[in-house]
Parts: sequence; structure tokens; C-alpha cells
Amino acid sequence: MTSSSKLPFQATALRWPALAAVAVFGLSACSVANSDSAGGGAADTVRVVLGQEPPTLEACESNLTSTGVVVRSNVTEPLIERNPQSGELEPKLATEWKATSNTEWTLKLREGVNFQDGTPFNAEAAAFTIDRAVNSKLGCNVEGYVFGDADLDVKAVDATTLTVTTPEPDPILPLRLSFLEVVPTSTSTTEKVREPIGTGPYKIDSWDAGQKISLSSWDGYWGDKPAYAKAEYQWRSESSVRAAMITSGEADVAMGLSPDDNIGDLGVDYPNNETVALRMDANEAPLNDIRIRQAVNFAIDKEGIVNSLYQGKHQVAAQLVPEGIVGHNSGLKGWPFDLEKAKSLVAEAKADGVDTAKQISLVVRSAQFPKITELAQVLQEQLSQAGLNVKLKMLETSQHLTYQVRPFAEDEGAVALMTQHGNQAGDAAFTVDQYMLSTGAQSYFGTPEFDAMIRKADAASGDARQKAFEEIFAYQNDKVVQFAHISHQTGILGKAKSVSYTPNSSSGDELRISEMTPAS
Amino acid sequence: MLTYLRKRIISSALPLVVVVVGVFALARMTGNPASLYLPLNATQQMRDDFTARNGLDQPLLVQMADYFGGVLRLDFGQSLRTGQDAAAMALRAFPATLQLAATTMVLAVVLAVIVGCWAALKPNGVADRISSFISMAAASIPDFWLAIVGIWIFAITLGWVPTSGVSGASAWVLPIATLLLRPFGVLVQIVRGSMVSALSEPYIKLARSRGAGELRVVTHHALRNAAAPALTVAGDLTVGLVNGAVVVETIFGWPGIGKLMIDSILQRDFAVLQAAVLLTAVAIFALNILIDMGYALLDARVRPVTVKA
Repeated sequence: MTSSSKLPFQATALRWPALAAVAVFGLSACSVANSDSAGGGAADTVRVVLGQEPPTLEACESNLTSTGVVVRSNVTEPLIERNPQSGELEPKLATEWKATSNTEWTLKLREGVNFQDGTPFNAEAAAFTIDRAVNSKLGCNVEGYVFGDADLDVKAVDATTLTVTTPEPDPILPLRLSFLEVVPTSTSTTEKVREPIGTGPYKIDSWDAGQKISLSSWDGYWGDKPAYAKAEYQWRSESSVRAAMITSGEADVAMGLSPDDNIGDLGVDYPNNETVALRMDANEAPLNDIRIRQAVNFAIDKEGIVNSLYQGKHQVAAQLVPEGIVGHNSGLKGWPFDLEKAKSLVAEAKADGVDTAKQISLVVRSAQFPKITELAQVLQEQLSQAGLNVKLKMLETSQHLTYQVRPFAEDEGAVALMTQHGNQAGDAAFTVDQYMLSTGAQSYFGTPEFDAMIRKADAASGDARQKAFEEIFAYQNDKVVQFAHISHQTGILGKAKSVSYTPNSSSGDELRISEMTPAS
Repeated sequence: MLTYLRKRIISSALPLVVVVVGVFALARMTGNPASLYLPLNATQQMRDDFTARNGLDQPLLVQMADYFGGVLRLDFGQSLRTGQDAAAMALRAFPATLQLAATTMVLAVVLAVIVGCWAALKPNGVADRISSFISMAAASIPDFWLAIVGIWIFAITLGWVPTSGVSGASAWVLPIATLLLRPFGVLVQIVRGSMVSALSEPYIKLARSRGAGELRVVTHHALRNAAAPALTVAGDLTVGLVNGAVVVETIFGWPGIGKLMIDSILQRDFAVLQAAVLLTAVAIFALNILIDMGYALLDARVRPVTVKA
């Protein structure tokens, strides 16, 4: 019998793992494979933590929240911008604009502005930007979001004068143009650009994919020099981790926090223009009876939901747009919580032959916003108490979209879909056309009279426009009842004490670093 | 050994083809991703343009043929979400996962061998009971809970390590500690069981009777014979980590392949999903071959025999 010591592996039984450990630690001590070593927070750098990495910084996709929050008004700028507080349109790269005919708008452009590559900003660049985003085959997100299929006729009259002609009269064209971030004529027209060149106060220094985006202030900026020389963006999916990064001093600003993150006085509330509502399909029993849709409204305890789930930070909603949006009807009040009334409406419908026992699918997108699961369970219970048969369906985004957007999923029976609608444009047309027209992308139904009201409001301007949309929201609640509104949401932004910044209703989509200053 | 390796590689080819076809087919069954990438109010014309632009209007067999052609040229296409090369995205994310998995498993094995051997020396003794308790707890704690609690204690309250991210060595502590516990707990149980069995074998008594010290008996005689079951389980656990430690990658902002795959599934980013799955599958096949070679090194009975004429 041979001694075991002759076998080559015996002596190494424990050495192998030990050597491997040393090797791995040697490797690990350097850094993660696809990262660099980020420095700590320098005084001239503001560190922002987002909920997700931007898929791209392409300017014509900047209406996407995850892109716009970095690029808009930091790297690139629009011709016209909407003041989030007043709702008024204000000059940016265009200094003035006016309608020169029913279908033509003329804009005067700012002089002395350069792009970050040194080329001058002029009418040719503005025309190129509109052409590229709206009239090309690039498939820009902003095209679908703001302009639809209609092409615009754009002409650079001279270096500082631009005309834009629409196929139909469009009283809110300047508002639509505020969504376009201007890029130089050297930008590709055949493919999207991940790192754009703009005229903004910051230029892109680096993008370590998966890790970090760094911006630095640009010396050639036409406006005031921003207080912070640099901005760094990181991203964490978990809101509790984003909050922890503020608490631990690893970040200065954190987006999209939840009331549960317990960030205390480092959390700043702001209206984020998002509204939560149930959208009911009146094509299917029992929701095809208006009394059942009214019963749903009466059965939901909106005050209780706002106070218990959202610590009173949200506001009970009576319409799909919050205050501050053109067309908001401040005279509307939320449906009162009246369970007995809801029960009697259900009983009345049942007595008239409506199959009130038929199942209603409550379709909800998982993780769409904080506490959505709890909210869905509360709604299911409250609707059940009113005598309705409600089944909860929690779905991921892609599946949820098949219920949310036309063409809707078929043979699903009655559906009450929980929707979170954000009107970031500031005008009710961006809500009503989608959600209330008979053929709207997110509308189950409408009526010819209601459609006519909406078309008329879309074409109106000034006070007449405001009044027309107010009537539409009132009519929805009285005669149509496609929606059971729940709440206007409030966003929470985490902010270190070292930074001075007041968030507004646009902060979630357009976080202007130039509005941040070191706290004194 | 080379013959053995060649056979293993050839036999791995068919499962890889199955993976490629399976991922392609399953991804397409989830529907057209147009709604995810277009504004909610996009017109039908825009949806049709999107579908045509990305080749999703072609018959499935044509799409599959295109995809296979691309795979053979190592061209996996472009990400729908970012517009970047899908293979580059997968290759960028994979090393981060590999580093995390390797560090975690090496530490787990070393610690489990030490604790497992210690426990096995006196079955049902104090050390055994303590290690059993610790290992059972470690194997049972949910990692998402552990990660959040770890951040709260060590990053926020004590301020010893960063909450998340990948900057500097200290950023490794929480992700690895979170990932480490489960494999450690499982492996301690395996090592302890194997060692108890090995230490009761006659050759151990013989070694002791010849005057071998306890350390030598454990490390030179018993451990080698007890190592095979631990290697099997460690291999399975490593495969799980190489697949991507999704929870840890998500919470700690670790730019690994697991998070990339989950995001690709949720975003119906077919090209990235296919590239990431194929890369991971290749890595797992390679890992399995390494584990088999480990068996051969540990135990002469499973070494491939080369018969010479």
C-alpha cells in the first residue's frame, strides 16, 4: 500500500482554494471588469442617482423620461420652453414667435449661440432639427408623442428666421415645438445618436455604459454659467437604495423616491403631474351599464387611500389632469365615497337584468408606481363590497400594454384597467385626444357628441380652449364615466443638505442642473 | 484528456443549438415589442414602420435564418433599446458577473471547508451544533432582505462601506457578503456530512494508528475523499451565480449579465437577450467541463482511460 502523500493532489487540498482566493482578490481589488473607479463627491460636482440608465441620450427621444431627465436643458435646448410653474411658453433658442397665417408660424431665433462642436446655431439648424425629428424615417419617439403622422413644412427664411407650416391649423404648435431639442446639421439623419451635441450649458464628457454618465459645464454657453462645473449620473433600480445613497452622502439628488423610503427631511415633495385612475370598458357587461361605472366611483374611498397608503401626500382626483394644466376644471370635485349608494346602483342595475355577477378584471401593471399592489388590493376589496365580482390581474409592462393601448386584448370580458397618466405637455389636448376620443389610443369608448366637443376644443385657443376642455372633463364625469379617478400623485426627490434646488412638476422629465446651486 | 475534452465540446454543440433556437422562439412568442418602444398614442403607420424597420414583419423562419446567419458571423444584431451592438453589451456585462461569482464561490468554498471540517471532527459536539445553526440560517435567509438590511447597517448606520456601486474594493463587500451566505450554508452541510463519513473509514483509523496528526488526517486523507460531493454542489451553485445574481445586481447596481437579461426580457430586447443567453450558456458548458476535470483530478476512478493499441 502506497502512502497517500505520493498523490499529487493531497497537499493541495486546501491550497487550491486559498491560491484561487488570492488570485480572485488580486483581480477584484482592481475594479469591476467594465467600470472605472468613480471618485467621491467633489464640491464642484453634483451627483444624481436615477431609477434607470438612459437607453440613449438621443435628442429626438428626449420626451422619454429616462432620456430627457439627463439631456433636456442640460446638453440640448429647445426653441421654446414651457415654464413648469406658470405653464407659460418662454423664449429659449427662439426669442419670439407668432402665427403668420392659419397654418403658418414664424419664429425669430436667438443670435450668438453656438453648438458644443463650435458650429453656429441658426435657422438652418432649427429647420434640420424639426425635419430630422418629425419628417424623417428615424422613428423618433417625439414624433409619435407630439406630432403624429402629420409632416411639417419647415423653411429657413434667413439666418434667424424660421417658418413652420402645418397641414391643419394648430393653435398649440409652439407648445409642440417645446418638445424638440435642437441639434446641429452634422447630426446623422440615418441613425439615432447616443451622445448628442447641443447648445446647452453642459456637454457630455463620458458615458461608462452600465455605470455612470459625466457632464461638464461648457465654456461657450450663451447663457449664465451654471454653479456646478460637473454633473455625474448613476442609477439604481431600488428606490430604497437611491434614498440610502442620499443618507450616506454618496449622492446629492435622488429621483423617484417612495414614501416608504423614510428619508425624512432629505425628501422634497413636488407635484409630478401624474394621475391615477381606473379606465372602464363599457363595451362589456356589467361595465356597459353606466350605473355600474358610477357605482365603481362611489365605492372607492379615495380619501382613505390617499391618507393611508400615501401619507396624505397625494390629492384626490376628479379628472385626468391636475391643476396647472390648460383645461383643468377646478370646479370638479371627486366622487364622494358612498358604499350604500354604490350598492344600490348595483342592485338597481341587477334588477334591470344586468349581469352584475359577471367578472370584472382589474388589470394592474406591477411596480408601475409605489404601493400599486396594495392599492390594487384595496380597490378589489372595495369594489367587491359594492357587490361586484372583481378579479385582480397583476401584469408586467408588455402584457399590460395589450390592455392599455389599441388594439386592445380581445375576449377578456369586462376590464377595469389601472392607468397612471402624466401630462407633461401642459395642455389637456395631450390627455383628452388619447383617453376620451372614441378612437383614442387609450380610450375604450366615446360618443359622437363627445368626440365633437373634443375636436372643437382641440381647435380652440385662449380662454375658449380652457373653457372647452373644462366642459369635456365635466361631461366625462356626468355622461360618459369611462374613468374612476383616484389621485393626483406627488413625487419625492431626495436632496442632500449641501445642494439647493426646488423641484417642480417637470423635474422628473427635465432635471435642470443649472438650477442647482451649492447650499450656503 | 484532449480526446475527452474534444468529445465534451462536440457533445455540447447540440444543446447550444437547442438553446439558440429555444431562446429565439420563446422570445418571439411574447409578441411584437412595438408598443414598448413607441409612444402610447403612436399611430398604426408608426407601428408598421417600427415592425418593418426591425425586420419583425418577416416570416418567423426568415427571421430565424437571419439570426442563425448572424450567430455564425458572431453578429447578434442591435439592441432595440439602446441601439448598441447586442454582443458588445453582453460581453461588457458578463465579466462583472464572472468576477462576482468567482470571488463569492472561492470564499464560500474556503470558509465552508474550514467550518465543515471543524464541525465533522466531533459530530453532535458544540462546534457541530454551532456550525449547523449558522449554515442552516445562512442557507435560508432571502438575499433581497439581507441586501437591504446590510445596506442599512453597514452603509447607512455604520458608514463602513458604500451602499452600492462598483467603485473601489469596499464596494465589493456587501454584494459578496450577500451572495456568499447561501452557498456557504449549503456547502458547510455537504462538507460536514462527507467528512463525517470519510473520518469513520478504516483508512483514517489506519492513518491515526500510524501516528498521523489530526490536521494531516483531515487535510491529507479525509478531505480529498470527501471533496467530490462538495465539488458537485459547488459547481451547481456556481452555475447559478454565473447565470446572473439578479437580485444582488439589481439592488447594488452591479452591471452584470443577470440584470441585463432580466431587463432584456422585460423590454423585449430580443437581440440582447439572445446574445446574453448564448454567452451564458457557453460559459456554463465550459464550467461543467472544468468541474468534470476537477472530478478527474480528485478521483482516478473517473479519469478518462486512453487505450493504446
